[in-house]
Amino acid sequence: MWEFMVRSLDASTIFTIAALSELLGQRSGILNVGVEGVMLFGATIGFMVAQTTGSYLLGFLAAMAIGGLIGLIHGFFSITLGSDQVVNGMGIWILGFGLTTYIGYPYTGPLGMERIPDILGLSPFFFVGLALIIIAWFVLTKTSLGLRIRSVGENPSVAEVSGINVARTRYLSVTTSGMLMGFAGAIYSLDYNPVWSNDFLMGWGFIALALVFFSMWHPFILLGGSILFGTLWQLSLNPQLVLPDVLSRYIWRTVPFAITIGVLVLMSTKWFSSRWGAAKPEALGLPYEEKG
Amino acid sequence: MLPESIKHGDTVLEARGITKRFPGVLANDQIDFEIKAGEIHAILGENGAGKTTLMNILFGLHQPDEGELYLYGKKVNFKSPLDAIGLGIGMVHQNRKLIPAHTVIENIILGHPRAGAILNLKRAGREITELCDKYGFKIDLKAKVWQLSEGEKQVVEILKALYRGAKILILDEPTSALAPPEIKRLLDSIRIMTVDELAIVPFITHKLPIVFEISERVTVLRRGRVSARLATTETTQKGLAREMVGRDVIFRMEQMTVEKGKSILHAENLVAFNDKGVLALKDVSFSVQEGEIFGIAGVSGNGQQVLAEVLAGLRKPQGGKVILDGADITHSSTLDFWMKGIGYIPSERIDVGSIGEFSLAENFTMNYYFDDRFSRGGIVDYKEIRRLTEQMISEYDVAAPGPDTTAKSLSGGNLQKLILARVLSRKPRLLIANLPTQGLDIGATEFVQKKIMEAKKEKAGILLISEDLDEVLSLSDRVAPMYEGEFMGIIPGGEARRELVGAMMAGLKPKVEQL
Amino acid sequence: MKLGSFEVKLEKRVALRGWEATLISIFAILFALVVFSYIFLRAGVDPLTGYKAIFSYAFTSSFGLPLTINRFIFLLLCTYAFIIPMRAGLWNIGMAGQLYAGALSAFAVAYAFGAKTSQNAVLPAGLVIPLMIAAAILGSAAIGAIAGFLKGRFNTNEIVVTMMINFITYWVVARMIKEGGLFMGASGEGDGFKLPESIYAPLIEGVPFTLFIALGLALLLFFLFAKTSIGYQIKAYGKSPAAAKYAGISPFNIPLLVFILGGLIAGLAGYHYFAAVPGVYKITKNYGEFGDLAFYGIICGLISQGNSLAAIPIALLFGGLTNGGRFAQGKLKLGFGIDYALLGVLMITLVAFQFFYRYRIVWVRTPGKEASDVGIHG
Repeated sequence: MWEFMVRSLDASTIFTIAALSELLGQRSGILNVGVEGVMLFGATIGFMVAQTTGSYLLGFLAAMAIGGLIGLIHGFFSITLGSDQVVNGMGIWILGFGLTTYIGYPYTGPLGMERIPDILGLSPFFFVGLALIIIAWFVLTKTSLGLRIRSVGENPSVAEVSGINVARTRYLSVTTSGMLMGFAGAIYSLDYNPVWSNDFLMGWGFIALALVFFSMWHPFILLGGSILFGTLWQLSLNPQLVLPDVLSRYIWRTVPFAITIGVLVLMSTKWFSSRWGAAKPEALGLPYEEKG
Repeated sequence: MLPESIKHGDTVLEARGITKRFPGVLANDQIDFEIKAGEIHAILGENGAGKTTLMNILFGLHQPDEGELYLYGKKVNFKSPLDAIGLGIGMVHQNRKLIPAHTVIENIILGHPRAGAILNLKRAGREITELCDKYGFKIDLKAKVWQLSEGEKQVVEILKALYRGAKILILDEPTSALAPPEIKRLLDSIRIMTVDELAIVPFITHKLPIVFEISERVTVLRRGRVSARLATTETTQKGLAREMVGRDVIFRMEQMTVEKGKSILHAENLVAFNDKGVLALKDVSFSVQEGEIFGIAGVSGNGQQVLAEVLAGLRKPQGGKVILDGADITHSSTLDFWMKGIGYIPSERIDVGSIGEFSLAENFTMNYYFDDRFSRGGIVDYKEIRRLTEQMISEYDVAAPGPDTTAKSLSGGNLQKLILARVLSRKPRLLIANLPTQGLDIGATEFVQKKIMEAKKEKAGILLISEDLDEVLSLSDRVAPMYEGEFMGIIPGGEARRELVGAMMAGLKPKVEQL
Repeated sequence: MKLGSFEVKLEKRVALRGWEATLISIFAILFALVVFSYIFLRAGVDPLTGYKAIFSYAFTSSFGLPLTINRFIFLLLCTYAFIIPMRAGLWNIGMAGQLYAGALSAFAVAYAFGAKTSQNAVLPAGLVIPLMIAAAILGSAAIGAIAGFLKGRFNTNEIVVTMMINFITYWVVARMIKEGGLFMGASGEGDGFKLPESIYAPLIEGVPFTLFIALGLALLLFFLFAKTSIGYQIKAYGKSPAAAKYAGISPFNIPLLVFILGGLIAGLAGYHYFAAVPGVYKITKNYGEFGDLAFYGIICGLISQGNSLAAIPIALLFGGLTNGGRFAQGKLKLGFGIDYALLGVLMITLVAFQFFYRYRIVWVRTPGKEASDVGIHG
């Protein structure tokens, strides 16, 4: 049982960081539906670099670099070119899915490095995730930078006449967001399950995307949601640990996805939004053309 | 840059020969004026006279192609609003530049250089409270902006400018969304500011009485040029209007008595919520007869929008009934409302009333795809609709190359004419016109009002919702001032005095004998 | 940017004409193929040899061409499954899930008629085949309807919902064809059972009859959007849901309808690949790859700008590219997944090229200032 909880928290860590990164971008008004693609890039490049150099550090740095680069590209399409952000995100997802399948294939198999040591039985990244949540909350609510990020996400034209550089703020958010997505992907492939196989993420990025809606754009709710989903995910992988022989393991695998839909529906109801307010950033997904 | 002391009457801002071109358009042509400390100097002009461009130049959103701006005698060159703000120019926008999800204080300190890397809300709060006390503003700094009334939002904008150290305050249509008592409070605050030697520059389109009440000097713009510089003591409303339009203007539509027929619409005890789940319509009942214009006056946000949507079938009421020609249609679909003869002109021309990427003919299809004359067996007769569109474009004098141009290429006035043409071409039994002339220039306003009168002559019942008191009073047979989701009374047009209706719009319910 | 006495400028387009969109698409595809050459070069293959291998196998070889046509049918159906919601401004990325549901439903009919127990059984084809198709349509339309219903009723994000349903149905298929599942084949290797020959989908001139369904749909959809009232309502909703609602177009019915229609067509794609392609006639254990292939529907749909006729050549091209790509991978000893890499490169190029749907590059002679004092405007 302890083993199960530890694995659940490890899975939650990845959801936490991936969803938090998406939250960061979305608070600045940039929607990236290609989280899965950026994570695939981070996971694959991180895996390749770590295996080649034998250094975890370099692996994670490479993952964050490629994630940041993809974030920057998404920013270029969405901010500078002002293209449809959903289309851009789809492009990034399919690019990630297509290209990593090809470039990662020769690396199929286990990582073959000593496992990253744990702290109190937990992955060290769990604590990194907690720290990132607190930092993100602090930056967003207590600092001038956070106010700027929230403002460009709510109403970029207001931000602009208040003297804020909308494009720069959004680029900063979306690039940082990409780096964290790459990082989350690398945690999967270097720590959580250090084996490379074709299209191994199987929807983690999309669940992270749904988690952001679930969190109502608040880091603490996001943490709670991530732990819930991490547990569900782990349960779907090892149902025998908790409920032996109840359902086929394949059916268990569908549960986190089905619950995601349920949660999303609950959140879109009038009942919910009238009680908890529509926390969605007003300008989310809308391109902005500077007037100046 | 700011001089040590400013004396009353010192020239603080001077524009010399400001000229601005846009592709195919000369928006500002050699504009000169001077703004003096401690003075209220109105800039007056119709839509399209170049006011917005001039305002954007003063605030650094646009750069002039020719001409110079001098601030305290020194030449300045604003590259962005930030430059203008830094030199003490503050702007209070008509379409509020505030973030509804943020608190008042967050809005005020947004982008402020002294906000601190880690926000120091305590210090800012103290300083803003001092400003409030000085100028007589009352506001809860921790409230979210979406919870505020229009007047309070304007206060937040003014505070934001003052907190940034504005010495010159540009006010864009400062009174357009305010109820009369709020206007009075605003004027009181502005007068205190002039004592502090601030220069106040209101930009005004329609409300000529306000110009006289508020300002000492007026610069009138017409077709991109300065057509007059006047002191308000030297002119009259008629005179100002002539300078603005270039001809004499009829201030009152000629009233027309049409024999009233039977009652078309009965609204019984309507109760409805708005999008935020707030009760916006509290027990409203009235009826509209054939050949009657029933006017609803009120400051925006008092439930008119929700009422219009309920009567157009776009929003289901929580209680009450909508009865059209004796039939209860409360629970019918929106499409049924159209088919049974209700025509709705929405206030949101661009987002609701039209589809920008569609051609004009396709926009016409919005009201004809279900019509047996233009759509048989599920197949739309686009040829016939195109022909109708062509005919209506010329009948309503819509300036457009033809029925195949996209709606987004039309100007505001032409778009409104198109919507009007589309809705009226169905010959509705009941026309609901929601802010039909808002933001239109005088020419287009006259045209729209004329067409509404024509519909009245043809025995349509008309529900006119307007924030422009003059419009409601001059067109309506009966007037219902609306406040916080209720009618404050229903007054026959002949007895509707400006002061009475204004007071009722602000929430005063007169005793029955006064009516 | 200045080049001699010319200046290169970006200009906002007022409208995008059909031929301009076509030209942009052609450039985008060519550009992607040029970029993709890098992957050939990296693998030590001359790009020309690579493309020659792909195209000659896909379009001229007697082995490759039938495969290309089968894949073309599949991609075209997936494209239509994407296009219909796209015209309503909605994203159906659930073609994979819908086609799995369609395939499962079709095989459920075959199963009910005893197809699993006796592989040589002579079943009443005239009854079973139409029933299989009907089941495929119903099953996938029901799955599609979920996203449409949730969108219409609660305004739930359809992208996440359809994606989640993809994963759900993916594992449901696994449940059915693996580890003793109802549809597991006799070999026990995780394939579904094989259809008896008597209920193979009929071929016309050696091509599955589904080709004619797909081409018929092309005309039908073109007509739907060009002429009908329903088509108008879908387009209006797609351009502006608020304006559509104002015009009396139901904000509930339209999302539901487009997702039912989209799902239905994806179900046909599922029937086609697992029950009508010669040599397949079963739910293969690599069914996930066909699901992934469905994402080409997104690309075809975007490139064709929702025009069902324009989608035909694009789907044919991509059918050939994916089919030939797999072949070239084996023949030229390229790494696994070259077709996936191509999918990615095509998609991102297309994303970059959308810019040109809104802007165009113009060459302006720069003779001095142009006088533009024509009218007055505020």
